[in-house]
Amino acid sequence: MKVLKFKYKLIIPVVVVLSLIIVFPLLYAFYVSFHKYLLITGLGKFIWFGNYIKGTDQEFLNASYNTLILTASVVTLEFMIAFGLGLPLNRKDLKFKNLYFIILTIPITIPPIGVGLIWRLILHPTLGVANHLLQLFRMPPQAWFGNPKAALLTIIGVDIWHETSLMIMILLAGLTSLPESPFEAATIDGAGPFQKFWYITVPLMKPVITVALIIRMIAALKTYDLIYICTKGGPGTKTQTLSYLVYRKGFRFLDMGIAASLSYLLLGMILVATLVIIKTIGKRE
Amino acid sequence: MQKSGRKKISLFVAHLVLIVGCITILFPLIWVARSSFASKVVIYQSPPPLFFPLSLENYKEIFMTLPFHLYLFNSLYVATMTTIASLIVGIFAAYSFTRFKTGGSLVPFGILATQMLPPVTLVIPFFLIARIANLFNTRILLIVVYMTFNLPFIIWILIGFFQGIPVSLEEAAITDGCTRSQALFYVILPISLPGILSAALFSFVLSWNEFLFALILSGKEARTLPVGVSALVSQEGILIGPVCAVIMLLILPMVIFYFLAKHFMVHGLTLGAIK
Repeated sequence: MKVLKFKYKLIIPVVVVLSLIIVFPLLYAFYVSFHKYLLITGLGKFIWFGNYIKGTDQEFLNASYNTLILTASVVTLEFMIAFGLGLPLNRKDLKFKNLYFIILTIPITIPPIGVGLIWRLILHPTLGVANHLLQLFRMPPQAWFGNPKAALLTIIGVDIWHETSLMIMILLAGLTSLPESPFEAATIDGAGPFQKFWYITVPLMKPVITVALIIRMIAALKTYDLIYICTKGGPGTKTQTLSYLVYRKGFRFLDMGIAASLSYLLLGMILVATLVIIKTIGKRE
Repeated sequence: MQKSGRKKISLFVAHLVLIVGCITILFPLIWVARSSFASKVVIYQSPPPLFFPLSLENYKEIFMTLPFHLYLFNSLYVATMTTIASLIVGIFAAYSFTRFKTGGSLVPFGILATQMLPPVTLVIPFFLIARIANLFNTRILLIVVYMTFNLPFIIWILIGFFQGIPVSLEEAAITDGCTRSQALFYVILPISLPGILSAALFSFVLSWNEFLFALILSGKEARTLPVGVSALVSQEGILIGPVCAVIMLLILPMVIFYFLAKHFMVHGLTLGAIK
């Protein structure tokens, strides 16, 4: 009996705190999403699914499209690049390993705001160093963030520069903890490097890979900071992600009801996407 | 001969790939660092010169335009307090989850699942409630709000660490006459110090870099560094020199912190991730 009481006493703070700061606000947001709530007029009347219907307009579909493209590109590319850098980094015969690791993981310590500022400067159409270099190689200068066709691609590129380091950290941690014996046995059996990678490394790394993909995907679906500092969703709405759309609806258009409903749709998407990934990777077994 | 030749080539390729990666990362950073020490004349020169006399005028200018010492203090204060609060609650919770499997697998999973929440979803109710409760633009509000992502994250990391500590240690302490809580304080905590420190570090970094909550929920008084930095850009277009200096301010503390604690971070991620 004494042991039971102790373990419950230990989690009382956590339960209380999280109920107050997560459960309660979530319920309140859910409540608001079914009411008309403009910031100027305050909490209005109950309008069933009015906000949800009004909120899922063309702009919402566009933002969803942007968010999905961004997430899919960013997760796959960062994963591949991180593996591409993690495997050489894991080699036993590699000198300067620590130096490489330190440099390669610097970007993730920089807040997205800092990263956005850095790249806004470098990719500035007239004053930025990137276009200077392009002109040096006789290539045409780009509008980068200002180019409606390439703005999203530019954001993807900047995000890759920033977040790949996190993937490298996670994947490398997994790679270094792999046991030696399967590889040695494979070498004796005459397996080449590709076979070793595909039939030993990948299956053994599956839990780490799953964690890395899920973490990165959830974060990518929530992308906001980078958009705010680099393009504010522009040009037009070409780089507007769902998080940014919710921000605009709530704090620029001051319609809290719609913002709340859209934010719940975003939450729903994240849940669905996570379940899909877990089921897909689980099925492969 | 063939095998060692192939090995040499693959090693060379490995170094090449890594070096390309490093250059991609270092070039923008070095460029920004270089520009932060450049006077206005040098910055707008085209083509940009490689060597020039260093100047501190950009750094002086940013401290004059906006109250960055206040922003710095706010960021430091909020990050520290929220980390301490989250650690206190989190250590007890993680210990309970690890040793006693409290709440089965559902409760810990639920806590972890909160990481899926988009900040925008939480920001709206917090904003509305803060206005009503007159907590808008206060550091306390930020400290509490930041716990929404720090606390679950810290619990996740600490569960990984606590799982690696053998139960025999506490059992030995109890047979020596300790109560459960004494065993926790005098035996487990000292041993899991690296884990606690790495969890604290992560929490601090997450809080320091946080942007959305601070943007919406803070006015002039409680503003944190990232928000202050973004205000600089909107107000004056792009003043390259000062912005570069600001970027250096923003990232230098983190980079230093990171160098000091690199050891703990990899350890923390390994245990947390694999579990």
